[in-house]
Amino acid sequence: MKGETPVNSTMSIGQARKLVEQLKIEASMCRIKVSKAAADLMTYCDAHACEDPLITPVPTSENPFREKKFFCALL
Amino acid sequence: MCDQTFLVNVFGSCDKCFKQRALRPVFIRSQQLSYCAVCVALMAAEGLHENETLASLKSEAESLKSKLEEERAKLHDVELHQVAERVEALGQFVMKTRRTLKGHGNKVLCMDWCKDKRRIVSSSQDGKVIVWDSFTTNKEHAVTMPCTWVMACAYAPSGCAIACGGLDNKCSVYPLTFDKNENMAAKKKSVAMHTNYLSACSFTNSDMQILTASGDGTCALWDVESGQLLQSFHGHGADVLCLDLAPSETGNTFVSGGCDKKAMVWDMRSGQCIQSFETHESDINSVRYYPSGDAFASGSDDATCRLYDLRADREVAIYSKESIIFGASSVDFSLSGRLLFAGYNDYTINVWDVLKGSRVSILFGHENRVSTLRVSPDGTAFCSGSWDHTLRVWA
Repeated sequence: MKGETPVNSTMSIGQARKLVEQLKIEASMCRIKVSKAAADLMTYCDAHACEDPLITPVPTSENPFREKKFFCALL
Repeated sequence: MCDQTFLVNVFGSCDKCFKQRALRPVFIRSQQLSYCAVCVALMAAEGLHENETLASLKSEAESLKSKLEEERAKLHDVELHQVAERVEALGQFVMKTRRTLKGHGNKVLCMDWCKDKRRIVSSSQDGKVIVWDSFTTNKEHAVTMPCTWVMACAYAPSGCAIACGGLDNKCSVYPLTFDKNENMAAKKKSVAMHTNYLSACSFTNSDMQILTASGDGTCALWDVESGQLLQSFHGHGADVLCLDLAPSETGNTFVSGGCDKKAMVWDMRSGQCIQSFETHESDINSVRYYPSGDAFASGSDDATCRLYDLRADREVAIYSKESIIFGASSVDFSLSGRLLFAGYNDYTINVWDVLKGSRVSILFGHENRVSTLRVSPDGTAFCSGSWDHTLRVWA
């Protein structure tokens, strides 16, 4: 089902040049420190924890899957 | 080499030499031109500086790669889980199967939630695509695709259509209608055409555009109405298995993961790869953006899930345990991003604390591989699909 490419040792000049261009673009990117990135992730989690029904549980009546309500109408 | 999304033989006048030859599409500064094979070869050789050879380009690539690693390492001042030590630990975590959706005759391969937080579309190996009401477990629509292994399905943002595809190499859109007299299959619209199986598809912010990923190694953006290819994304060295669009506030990018162990972030407008990450040791089966759009998680056949931060441009966490030896097939975040749900090939679902890197819970229930997993749009539950022919909604 999933294919596998063998290690490409027969790269053409065009492909090699494309690779170098791509690496140049990636190398010139502006990066921030991991400590700042981690702090931002934590801030986001904190800020949205109260909205997350799986972190701050909502009363059973407000979670449509947990409540034992019957959805069938009797005709 | 899987380099083209489609193969078309066009004869005509070359845009460079004007001779009547078989033409190939060529992109110069984002503009598409048609060159004959001779001009394509001349163009590749053009601009070769003196002494520039394949070997010199390869060594330049190697030195750029190590420079990239150096730059990334300089900013690696701390680990995420160290910073997260001061975060409160999560309380007792109890989740159970609340609904079991039975009806597929074979392995469930993919599922998606509707924005109404209630409906689910799922597809399976036997070619059936079913739309369920997850509250009542009733089936609302069912369509049989002309191919087997429907590996991708998606719900349109409006809730009025679904898209699916697989071994037919196409992505088809079916409008959903409640009219009992209408045959869903009759209104089918073929949108995408790849040269190998369709592994993933997703609508963008509207019903009008679809993003697809394929076993031919490319991703592509299509206009639903006309079926026209709007942009194609080349760069993966092997089958692309998954993709995820950035949350709307963050703009026009998406991430894709493939059998070449790479996760690549793309700019949808230019078709350019912006960032790429290669730390997994095997195929990446699933990628999902963190809710803020600043990071994404990936699940792989190497039995680990990893978190990559886009602004720090590196992997910041690995979610793994020695006891977990089977690949992760599907991952998704809870609404706040604190929890990462991952379905594995050992039939279990592991719940990870994203910040601390520890496992919070392990959920049992499926009787075969978990192949797909998505959290509902309002975060109250998540749904998992499995090779045991069922889907389960957990809350």
